[in-house]
Amino acid sequence: MSHPLTILWAAPLAGAVVCAVAGSRAKYAALGFSALFVGLIAALGFAQGSNAALAVVNEIGPVWSYGISYRLSADSLSIGLIGLTAFLNLICVVASWELEVSPWYWACFLALASALTGVFLARDLFFFYVFWEATLIPMFFIIGLWGSSNRLHAAVKFFLFTFAGSVFMLLALLALVSAHHRVSGVWTWDLAVLDASALGSAAPLVFWGLVLGFAVKIPMIPLHTWLPDAHTEAPAAGSVMLAGVMLKMGVYGLLRVAMPLFPTLSFDALPVLGGLAAFSTIYGALCAMAQTDLKRMIAYSSIAHLGFCLLGVLSRTSQGLAGGTLQLVNHGLTTGALFLMVGFLYERSHKRGLADFGDLASRAPYLAFFFGFSTLASVGLPGLNGFVGEFMALSGALAALPILAFAGVLGVTLAAAYALPAFQAVFWAPAGPGSVSDKVTDLDARERAVLWTLSALMLWIGLAPRPWLAYFEPALRGLVR
Amino acid sequence: MTLMPMAPQAALAAGVLGTLSLGLMRRPPALALRALAVASIAGAMLLAVGTPAGGYASAILLSDAKSVGWQYLIYLGALPLALWLDGTDDVLTALFLGATLGMSLLAAAANLPMLFIALEFMSLPAYLLVARSRPGARGLEAAIKYFFAGGVAGALFMLGLSLYYADTRSLAASAALSPLGQAGAGLMAAAALFKLGAFPLNWWLPDAYEAAAPEVSGFLSTAMKSAAVLFLMRLCELAPEAGFIRLLPAIGAATALTGAVMALRQERLQRLFAYSSVANAGLLIIGVGAWALAGRSAEGVSALLFFLGAYAFMSNGTFAFIRFSGLETRSQLKGRGAAVPAAAAAFTILLFSLGGIPPTGGFMAKLLLLWRAVDAGLLWPAAAGALSALISLAYYLGMVRDLWFEKADESASFRPAHGASLVVACAVGVLLLGAAPWLMSSLSGGLTR
Repeated sequence: MSHPLTILWAAPLAGAVVCAVAGSRAKYAALGFSALFVGLIAALGFAQGSNAALAVVNEIGPVWSYGISYRLSADSLSIGLIGLTAFLNLICVVASWELEVSPWYWACFLALASALTGVFLARDLFFFYVFWEATLIPMFFIIGLWGSSNRLHAAVKFFLFTFAGSVFMLLALLALVSAHHRVSGVWTWDLAVLDASALGSAAPLVFWGLVLGFAVKIPMIPLHTWLPDAHTEAPAAGSVMLAGVMLKMGVYGLLRVAMPLFPTLSFDALPVLGGLAAFSTIYGALCAMAQTDLKRMIAYSSIAHLGFCLLGVLSRTSQGLAGGTLQLVNHGLTTGALFLMVGFLYERSHKRGLADFGDLASRAPYLAFFFGFSTLASVGLPGLNGFVGEFMALSGALAALPILAFAGVLGVTLAAAYALPAFQAVFWAPAGPGSVSDKVTDLDARERAVLWTLSALMLWIGLAPRPWLAYFEPALRGLVR
Repeated sequence: MTLMPMAPQAALAAGVLGTLSLGLMRRPPALALRALAVASIAGAMLLAVGTPAGGYASAILLSDAKSVGWQYLIYLGALPLALWLDGTDDVLTALFLGATLGMSLLAAAANLPMLFIALEFMSLPAYLLVARSRPGARGLEAAIKYFFAGGVAGALFMLGLSLYYADTRSLAASAALSPLGQAGAGLMAAAALFKLGAFPLNWWLPDAYEAAAPEVSGFLSTAMKSAAVLFLMRLCELAPEAGFIRLLPAIGAATALTGAVMALRQERLQRLFAYSSVANAGLLIIGVGAWALAGRSAEGVSALLFFLGAYAFMSNGTFAFIRFSGLETRSQLKGRGAAVPAAAAAFTILLFSLGGIPPTGGFMAKLLLLWRAVDAGLLWPAAAGALSALISLAYYLGMVRDLWFEKADESASFRPAHGASLVVACAVGVLLLGAAPWLMSSLSGGLTR
């Protein structure tokens, strides 16, 4: 076991291969490998604790000329996000258990988990980019093969849009590596060695190229238009992985690549980037308010929530960074739960419009409870996880550039203005004439188990955030301005 | 002095003569013809492996790292067509081997007249190959168009050569050029750009690629393109001070964007991949420009070698899929994935590779080439090349979508032929190049060191 980090991303990939050839037993293989993946990351996390000095490094290198080396490392930020990936992947497998799908469905999810793990582990920018792009392929097939009516359009749009961002990221990386070689005479893609000061006057161009690649993924307004389609058309579990983990790649990229390489530039960009982030929180909420489709509403709410993450992270204060990072996990849990429940509704009724339901609270009390619980977590009720993350992110923004915090607070208010009426319309209002509420049965034991797990975590982070914040802190310490 | 470095060309010449001799029989044995074609190409390849780079240099022919490396590319690009040829047509086989011999001579040409002879040697059989591979009025029309375009290219080269000679009194390398010599070098470069289908000299290419049999289009877009790239590189070497070199990045950028945009609206598959071939030629021209402008480094050569090597798999694989499936238009692709899963999955991998998605050889190829451009300070051509890759992804992904996500039209007949294994082999090739790129680069590194 000299390469535990390689095993970490290779295990789900092996699972994907097994699923692809396992035929009708694929879902059992998927469950087994997903559980194994959770076990591996948990073991690694406990072995390491939050001690950044113990950060595991696995390295083979240089594997090729031009300074490309295979270098993986896991600090608490990586392990936290891989933990989220592994956990949501397992949740997705359990939540999809009754679907009648081909073995490739399970293979795609495990392949996606593998590529995401690689993104969070890679410390060599070449491999970072390869894993980054590799995430697109399984998600393209997940949307295109198992999505809803407009899936064909959404799949291609998703791929092209995010690829457009990555192309600029790649050019920026190439410029960075070449400039480093020109100045130092050394070819390297190693994040720890690369020195952006070699770029000279080209530094802003390279910085913004990187930011463009990350901003599409987050997504930051005005680069968000792929998201509503992709999230709405993907199957429920696909939306969970998209919102729960794939959006986090963008913020992670800022934290891991753009900020450490360009500490000054990234802070100077706060008015622009922070302004766009604050605008995202308001604009996302306003768009969510106008939606008549539950899934689309949650999709737009993701834009708003990622705006809070960004506000915190960009502020470069210790509480902002901690809150923004915690909010990455929070959003994965709450939005994941909401997408799953819309998926459960859709499986039963083949509808997901706000006007298609009414009075669901009396027919499906469990569903009403969990939906209400997750909605409250999502709008930031004190005592649940969303509050902690948003509060800390906003207080960080207040310390860095107060106007951003004021805009963010407006976004928080607006969140309640779309989420609560939507809950009311679906669960409490009397059923309208076209209502399909009578088709909706309550959650079964499997579905309840999934949601209990997610809700318990939401409550835990909300009541006792300290261990979570302390866990991430060592990885973020170096970024505080 | 030994003639051993010319052994691959000798093997091909023997193949041509053998084919023509077999053709004298009333009914040439098909199996023997096929075996002869495959044996000539494979034999030439093996002999090229045994050729020491730099072992031979005369006034007209030479053997250096590029000539050996490009021979690999040419034989690699030609091998699939040797496997496809049905063996009943001895003339077609002889034309194919003759064109390959011309390319192989081009790889070893040391001075300008020899380059011209090799250029004509590879082009003349290629015109006839286009006309004969798919009999009919369309094929003839395309072949005549192709012939005239090639004739113009040859004439440009001749005119350029005379101007160049008038200035320098030399048929080989020359450093300083007067305006007359500059014009001559520019005209000769125009001939090479013509062959590559560079903007705005690309109008003949889609017609020729569409009219020919798919496997012949694959041959033209891989072996022929490799030879044309080397042709351009040799000109850059012979006239290092020529002004056209500074224009290459811009020409490449325009070509890459034109090809990608034109391919967007194509319905017929062969025409679409013809434009995609133009787009890739644009990237190669940017790569040649970067190599020539940044001190003609070994890294630049190996980036071009890698790109062309990966492209040999990608382009031959896609045209092999068209030939295998018998599908002609994009809409006929709809829903066919499930009927031929292995070949369609291989085709999908090739499409992702053409689009430059990791972990495929196509990604590594684009990365290395654009990297050379960025390293040479050609930021805007590199950005144009990246933009062209992005645009082209729209139709590559569109085809993946049609193939797998759409419903098939059950009323239309769909009878795939034999040869899926070749598509699969090409897909395995690009995956290998993507997963272990150092296999290729250690080969080219050994050559260019």
